[in-house]
Amino acid sequence: MKLKCPECDGDIEVKEVIEGEIISCKDCGAELEASKDKNGNFELKVAESEGEDWGE
Amino acid sequence: MRIAIKMGGDLLKGESLNTPLLEDLKSVAKEHSIIIVHGGGDLVTEMAKRLGKEQVFVISPEGFKSRFTDRETADIYAMVMAGEISTKIVGTLQSFGINAVGLSGFDGGLLRAERKKRLVVVGDQGRKMAIDGGYTGKIVSVNGRLLEALMKEGYTPVVSPLAMGLENEPLNVDGDRTTAAVAAAVKTDVILYLTDVSGVLKDGKVIGKISALDVEGLLKEIGPGMSTKIHAAVEGIRGGVGKAIITSGLTERPLTGALEGRCGTVISL
Repeated sequence: MKLKCPECDGDIEVKEVIEGEIISCKDCGAELEASKDKNGNFELKVAESEGEDWGE
Repeated sequence: MRIAIKMGGDLLKGESLNTPLLEDLKSVAKEHSIIIVHGGGDLVTEMAKRLGKEQVFVISPEGFKSRFTDRETADIYAMVMAGEISTKIVGTLQSFGINAVGLSGFDGGLLRAERKKRLVVVGDQGRKMAIDGGYTGKIVSVNGRLLEALMKEGYTPVVSPLAMGLENEPLNVDGDRTTAAVAAAVKTDVILYLTDVSGVLKDGKVIGKISALDVEGLLKEIGPGMSTKIHAAVEGIRGGVGKAIITSGLTERPLTGALEGRCGTVISL
């Protein structure tokens, strides 16, 4: 499966992917989250993640 | 002097608190203004189990294990932190003649936090996954005036690590970082992180001093629990706190010993 990096527009080839999976772009190093668009196709968006402070 | 004290969950287990610690606290409180922040994640887990709510723990790519706080867990968390633990500490301090006041982040808008949108965890087959942030938060403001007013009147605030979200929802916030935020808000001279070990250990020995400007290399060599404390200490110092000391709360006169430089690991500029 071929996906586009939203940061550098580079191609990212993946064998299989699941929703929510974090993928790194080999070209620009961006951390990307796999999500599904309205048609159920996978797309990548820049991952929003927080640091290590997850509470008690 | 102003002192913020974090009492770790290991000091809170059992029927009563450690008597030498309480005696020392009473002695120190006579001369200095004190704010206490408590932990107690294990007690939340115990209560959740008793209520039939199995806790889900997730692991970050860096190896940190954390509770996943869904809404039901957030309610149990609030019940244990601001109820069971806070009343136990306040009641014990009152019985020792310390005029303690229990506060959660909701009281007087003490701790406001933003919910975390996404968390990255290690899922099945080692895959990195983004999941919903749940009811954990990052503190964005502390009502320092409330703490100032209480300390001015001779009260000892006891703060639970329970913040109020932007939609007034309960949020689980880390106790070490809560201590740093509270300490920075009222510019304490020192933060004492009381734990069940003697300080930050390297090769089995306590490190006496750590520079807040150079912790990155060290963080790779120590465990996740201490790593969080060091991160929090650095945040506090950047916020205007004089220094932080990580030390055991299970010794004789643990506060006096740390304040006099006889034990623990000091983190400062």
